[in-house]
Amino acid sequence: MAGAAALRRSARRIVRPLATATALSRTLQQPERLFSSQASPEHGPRGAMSGSELGLYTPELIRNFSIIAHVDHGKSTLADRLLELTGTIQKGHGQPQYLDKLQVERERGITVKAQTATMFYWHTSASHGPDTPRYLLNLIDTPGHVDFSYEVSRSLAACQGALLVVDAAQGVQAQTIANFYLAFESNLSIVPVINKIDQPTADPDNVKDQLKRLFDIDPSEALLTSAKTGKGLEQVLPAVIERIPSPPGKCDSPVRMLLLDSYFDEYKGVICHVAVVDGALHKGDKIASAATGRTYEVQDVGIMHPELTPTGVLYTGQVGYVISGMRSTKEARIGDTLHQAKITVEPLPGFKPAKHMVFSGLYPADGSDFEALSHAIEKLTCNDASVSVTKETSTALGMGFRKLNLGSFCSKVQVENPAALASNPGKRVVGCWEPTVIATIIIPSEYVGPVIMLCSERRGEQIEYTFIDAQRALLKYRLPLKEIIVDFYNELKGITSGYATFDYEDSEYQQSDLVKMDILLNGQPVDAMATIVHNQKAQRIGRELVEKLKKIIDRQMFEITIQAAIGSKVIARETLSAMRKNVLAKCYGGDITRKKKLLEKQKEGKKRMKRVGSVDIPQEAFHELLKSSGSK
Amino acid sequence: MLRSAFPLISHLPPKKSPPIHPRPPPVRQYATATTSHPFTPPPLPPSLPPASAYVHLPFCRKRCHYCDFPIVALGSSSPTPSPHGEGAEDPRITDYVRLLLREVAATCPVPDVDDGVPLETVFFGGGTSSLVPPRLVAVVLDALRGRFGLSQCPEVSIEMDPGTFDAARLRELIGAGVNRVSLGVQAFQEDLLQACGRAHGLREVHEAVEIVTACEGLQNWSMDLISSLPNQTEAMWEESLRCTVDARPTHISVYDLQIEQGTKFGQMYTPGVHPLPSDSESANLYKIASKRLSEAGYHHNEISSYCKPGYECKHNVTYWQNRSFYAFGLGSASYINSVRFSRPRRMKEYAEWVQNLENGTWSHESRNSDMKEMAMDVVMLSLRTAWGLDLRSFSKSFGKSLTLSLCNTFKPFLESGLVIVMDMQRQALSPGDFELDLQNKCDSGSRSAFIRLSDPDGFLLSNELISLAFGIISP
Repeated sequence: MAGAAALRRSARRIVRPLATATALSRTLQQPERLFSSQASPEHGPRGAMSGSELGLYTPELIRNFSIIAHVDHGKSTLADRLLELTGTIQKGHGQPQYLDKLQVERERGITVKAQTATMFYWHTSASHGPDTPRYLLNLIDTPGHVDFSYEVSRSLAACQGALLVVDAAQGVQAQTIANFYLAFESNLSIVPVINKIDQPTADPDNVKDQLKRLFDIDPSEALLTSAKTGKGLEQVLPAVIERIPSPPGKCDSPVRMLLLDSYFDEYKGVICHVAVVDGALHKGDKIASAATGRTYEVQDVGIMHPELTPTGVLYTGQVGYVISGMRSTKEARIGDTLHQAKITVEPLPGFKPAKHMVFSGLYPADGSDFEALSHAIEKLTCNDASVSVTKETSTALGMGFRKLNLGSFCSKVQVENPAALASNPGKRVVGCWEPTVIATIIIPSEYVGPVIMLCSERRGEQIEYTFIDAQRALLKYRLPLKEIIVDFYNELKGITSGYATFDYEDSEYQQSDLVKMDILLNGQPVDAMATIVHNQKAQRIGRELVEKLKKIIDRQMFEITIQAAIGSKVIARETLSAMRKNVLAKCYGGDITRKKKLLEKQKEGKKRMKRVGSVDIPQEAFHELLKSSGSK
Repeated sequence: MLRSAFPLISHLPPKKSPPIHPRPPPVRQYATATTSHPFTPPPLPPSLPPASAYVHLPFCRKRCHYCDFPIVALGSSSPTPSPHGEGAEDPRITDYVRLLLREVAATCPVPDVDDGVPLETVFFGGGTSSLVPPRLVAVVLDALRGRFGLSQCPEVSIEMDPGTFDAARLRELIGAGVNRVSLGVQAFQEDLLQACGRAHGLREVHEAVEIVTACEGLQNWSMDLISSLPNQTEAMWEESLRCTVDARPTHISVYDLQIEQGTKFGQMYTPGVHPLPSDSESANLYKIASKRLSEAGYHHNEISSYCKPGYECKHNVTYWQNRSFYAFGLGSASYINSVRFSRPRRMKEYAEWVQNLENGTWSHESRNSDMKEMAMDVVMLSLRTAWGLDLRSFSKSFGKSLTLSLCNTFKPFLESGLVIVMDMQRQALSPGDFELDLQNKCDSGSRSAFIRLSDPDGFLLSNELISLAFGIISP
């Protein structure tokens, strides 16, 4: 059981669609959230903000920024404080960690979907002399996990700066580094914030040293805060205004905007979050998508303050929402450029069409539940463009879907492989490539040995090995995605007593010696058990798998040979001898009901098994195989 | 393997000539009726009125360590049955018999008294039925006769345990109309008897066998054995089988020990784990029994039953043919009007139930049984027998396509020797012939008439094979 739980955990970490699916269900459950009439302290009742008022905020009075941090370093709490400070939300009202709208986000402390909030803030700055102009600040929250690094990069593309939040006690962690480089590469102005200084173990000076050493950040730039006690928070927004440039767009160009995110609302349809780069967007405008070429009419436009607040217009540099009659979020591709229809514009850089990195097969445990599963998936995915669903049929698992991963279902994670593999008839295989990642691991130095061992076991290639301070080391490895996808993180946590922090970003495909390993039962390949393994590991994995299967599969009325094979070459073999006896030779008198119940139970047991040829395979076999074949 | 398809009797005539009956015993008519077959199965109309009755007599000295039956342990302090069944009768027994008589009286004959069929078989089971004084057994039997009628020569069986009766007491039972005895020996080793928690020792076993075999007027008796007991060796089992064969019962029941939850054995042992034999060892004991008893002229007519030709337990045949039967007493199960009903297993609740039956607040319902359930019953019961499943009559009752699906399911096991298909003459079909029949969709010209599990391999895997069939009937 513990193993299954671990599997689910790791699946959650990796598979974005699960989280997004939860987002939908939340939206469906609480549609009223979207219409709640929380009073805005500055603009009267919601919805009353006028477009002309918004027009006052020229780019120089706008700052677009995000907060980046390692998990649990206080990003969400800091965001809450800033929203309170600007009166955008009232203290003690609503949910804490406001931007983490998804329950899953609050539960796990990570931000999955990007959220955006517009704040207004009076600030006296040197450039405006004695005036106290009001600034429009857009806090563009980023997914906190770099499994979503593309989404993060798109959110960052709408910003000119970022608050880099570091826990004063824990110091720089793996995600801090990954996020810093993402921000750095996006040319963002970085405002370092050393948070949680109220903790007894806080050591801000050490953190300053780390920032200097790792990122060349001047220690004097770091703001010291405690989002919990409020200490130092007053410096944050002035720093945002003074250190982060205003958005650079051209006000008089035709409208051009970056699509940051989208979600589906039952009543309004697809709602897109956009950052207006050039020009202005008005209700009624015709806009087009650079990626799909489709055109839409703007039905509603406004800001998130933090709830949807219609303004009828968004000006250059502003961030808000657009409702334009898109039917499905599949039309709203993150990173896409939306622009004035009927003219050609230069698409904003960095757009990548959704690329599937993780595939999962989803099958109902009981074949008769297929319809129910089908409905459930449809409901969960209709708002998520990053998920594609295809029906597929496995001889072992029956009808199912090739798709996302939900813990309670039998699932199978496969790694994408562009090359036709060994058993594909009629095609000559010229080479195999597999996706890789660049992993950043930060660990207390005493764990360096075991972690290097683990990484090399997982076919990792060391890229960097440095000490970030006296106690901690940073390792960078290029690892095949396949090797980290299932249980790498758990194992890493295990061998480092939970001290390791880990993050990764997608990297290029590398040519590698991969083979498809089939599992055969009585000579018949079981499609759902086929795995792609590295050639050098095939022998060992094959042996482990057949031994494991021998233990998991119950004896049956005939002998079963269990083989692992690459192409036609058998690399491991076990024999499960036939069952000798299964008989009720007891007289129950005329009471046959008991006997019958027993046999019916036995029949039900068989039904839960998956049958390949004549062999019944228990569900656990598939789960077990996943665990062991995933990455060893 | 295929040899076992043929009724053993045609190939292996008994070494000893069949017992000569001084007076025609009830089984006689069966013995003469079955010339080439173990028995002739009648069709399976569940509508036939019950002609059998089971009577539960739940009293035991103490509970055996493997037993989870509804019993009443009297304790060793209870009055020892006097040789003549007289003297102080245990009030718990007399009270119970009173209750039993009330149930008999309150049970309506099916269809009704005038059109009803007289009882062909009565089975007194337990418990240790032989602890009930013969006088009371006679009273119950009289009550049954009065209520339902008894045929000319009914089979009347009683279960008896060594150490609970003497020659006189047995004679008294015979006098009351009992004509078949099932002797619960279980093992021929003192240690094993003790380990099972039996209330008797080996000496009592030998005495009991002596009494039963010496009893004139009792030609038909059965012996029970249990295999796979804790610490039972192959040598012990061979010894038990030898002693059994030497005692020359007409019928032998060989039960494979089942570890039931809530029993002492259930607490002490895990199936397949020492001191219980492994599955493989236990299968071996089963095979030895099949071999030794066949050699001695017994026909393996059901998974756990062996008999000399013509000496099937007629009462049990009722069960296997899915025919209806009455049942009376604590925890007993009846099958009337297509309804199976199990009585309460606790005395107090049973007494209340009898009360309700008398008041008319409870009555045996009548309903049309679900076809799937019925088909499963037929398959389960018939595949436990050497006769097997009658494909034609099954097809008639439950449809051609279901029959064909069943045949297809069993086909691979015909090849592996777990299943045997026979024609009308009960000659085994080769897998090729069967395949041809299947392609013809078992239409006219099809030779396949019966399907049975092979002895011993198919019987040993009967749960698997039958549950496979269940999966076809009720997916």
